[in-house]
Amino acid sequence: MDFLGLHFRPLIGYAPVLLRGLGLTSLLAVTGVLLGGGLGLSFAIWRFMAPKRYPWLTWPVTVYVEAIRNTPLLVQLYIIFLGLPSVGIRLSPLLASVIGMTINLGAYSTEIFRAGFESIKKQQIEAGLSLGLTRLQVMRHIVLVPAVAKVWPSLMGQFILMMLGTSICSFISLEEISGTAYNIQSETFLNFEVYLLIGVLYLLITMIMKTSLSALGNSMFSRLLPARAVKAAARAGTGVIE
Amino acid sequence: MKLARLFASALLLVIAATTISMAQTVDDLIAKGVIRIGVNSAAPPFSIVNTSGNVEGYDVDVGNVIANYLGVKAEFTAYATAARIPALESGKADIIIGTLTPTPERARVVMFTMPYVTFTTNVVAPAGTKITSWDDLKGKTVSVARGTPQETALVAAAPAGTNIARFDDDSIAIQALASGQADATVVPNTILAEFKKSRPNTDLELKFEIARQYMSIATRRDAFDLRQWLNTVVSYMRVTGQLDEISIKWTGSPFPHDAPVF
Repeated sequence: MDFLGLHFRPLIGYAPVLLRGLGLTSLLAVTGVLLGGGLGLSFAIWRFMAPKRYPWLTWPVTVYVEAIRNTPLLVQLYIIFLGLPSVGIRLSPLLASVIGMTINLGAYSTEIFRAGFESIKKQQIEAGLSLGLTRLQVMRHIVLVPAVAKVWPSLMGQFILMMLGTSICSFISLEEISGTAYNIQSETFLNFEVYLLIGVLYLLITMIMKTSLSALGNSMFSRLLPARAVKAAARAGTGVIE
Repeated sequence: MKLARLFASALLLVIAATTISMAQTVDDLIAKGVIRIGVNSAAPPFSIVNTSGNVEGYDVDVGNVIANYLGVKAEFTAYATAARIPALESGKADIIIGTLTPTPERARVVMFTMPYVTFTTNVVAPAGTKITSWDDLKGKTVSVARGTPQETALVAAAPAGTNIARFDDDSIAIQALASGQADATVVPNTILAEFKKSRPNTDLELKFEIARQYMSIATRRDAFDLRQWLNTVVSYMRVTGQLDEISIKWTGSPFPHDAPVF
């Protein structure tokens, strides 16, 4: 357990609190991805679908995106946790963290989804409509799925950044991995050891997130991936039109 | 295997780099012409970042006197509560004048001079809350700065069922109380006094005193020469009234004459 003058042995006793921290960070990651990603997708669709004649319809989304993307996450968390009580909204550290991560990721992913939507050519939509697809069908098959498939790698990156950002939640007394590490460090003074250890824990979560998100992407967008499309077409005995 | 060896040597290099600037004497500092002093980033009135972006406070005044006696320039850097000892260990700071209470655990890592400053630690809560002893904290959320002696005291004395919320420093801990995110907090009297200065209409008050804390200057474990010199300066400042002057300026009362000496 002692390696290159580093002492990991005293950390064994802290396994239960570290596991608890790992659980909290994972919980934040999962709820953040689901809620934040969902929020971003909804706002992006709203911005895309809103009639261009009424630009004020999308102003709230723009204000939200710009306000969140141009201020530090720590400031947002402090406002949610320490500021909101002054208007009568008191949130637990966990709830404040979930809301903070959701709002933060929501803003960034709105922009990522927007980039995906903008990559869809107007002619494709017109082609879909002229083939007799309804507006909703066009939205789903021609805009939404291909757009999300295109930006999936950037989304994955943003999701992982959000997970790593949850370390800031320790500032509002949530004892996730980093908060736990600060406590252990102040009791044991094993700074390098503790940070190396939690580095490994974060790496573990990142690996799991990466693997499961790309598996999810593969299964959702398999039809759209060029190599698979060629194989599927070969099996079906039809040519590929590209 | 090759990769493992490469990783191991890289790690060794990191460890070696952090130990390079360790052993340190008074002569070293005089030769360098500058003393790098680590202070606490948020511990009014001991060290505060003022409106022009510089640090000032009790600790900075003491640091300037020390640099003056050494005949060198003082260079102050503010570190977060939990980063003070790592900053000293890694050689980023030569000494820490940053509200460090000498404790046996800390003394295994750094070396302390005799105390140069003191405060009392108290349980603080709104006037309407009835708290007279530790038992009254049961079922309440109590905020505290992590890695501090007040945290240790709270963890040791709080009855089962007390919810302890740890924050980065005393000012966030007391802010959490003011925001209603905690029912009580454990902070130094000086923090409450500073808080009342910026929010005169607050109803927070001292409930009961836990302990009087003394705080020392910290050096690295091998800097005996420097520590001895610092002890001489602190003792001199106590005898000549220089320390009383600084103490009255920032806390309103002189430095107690029965403070421990070591």
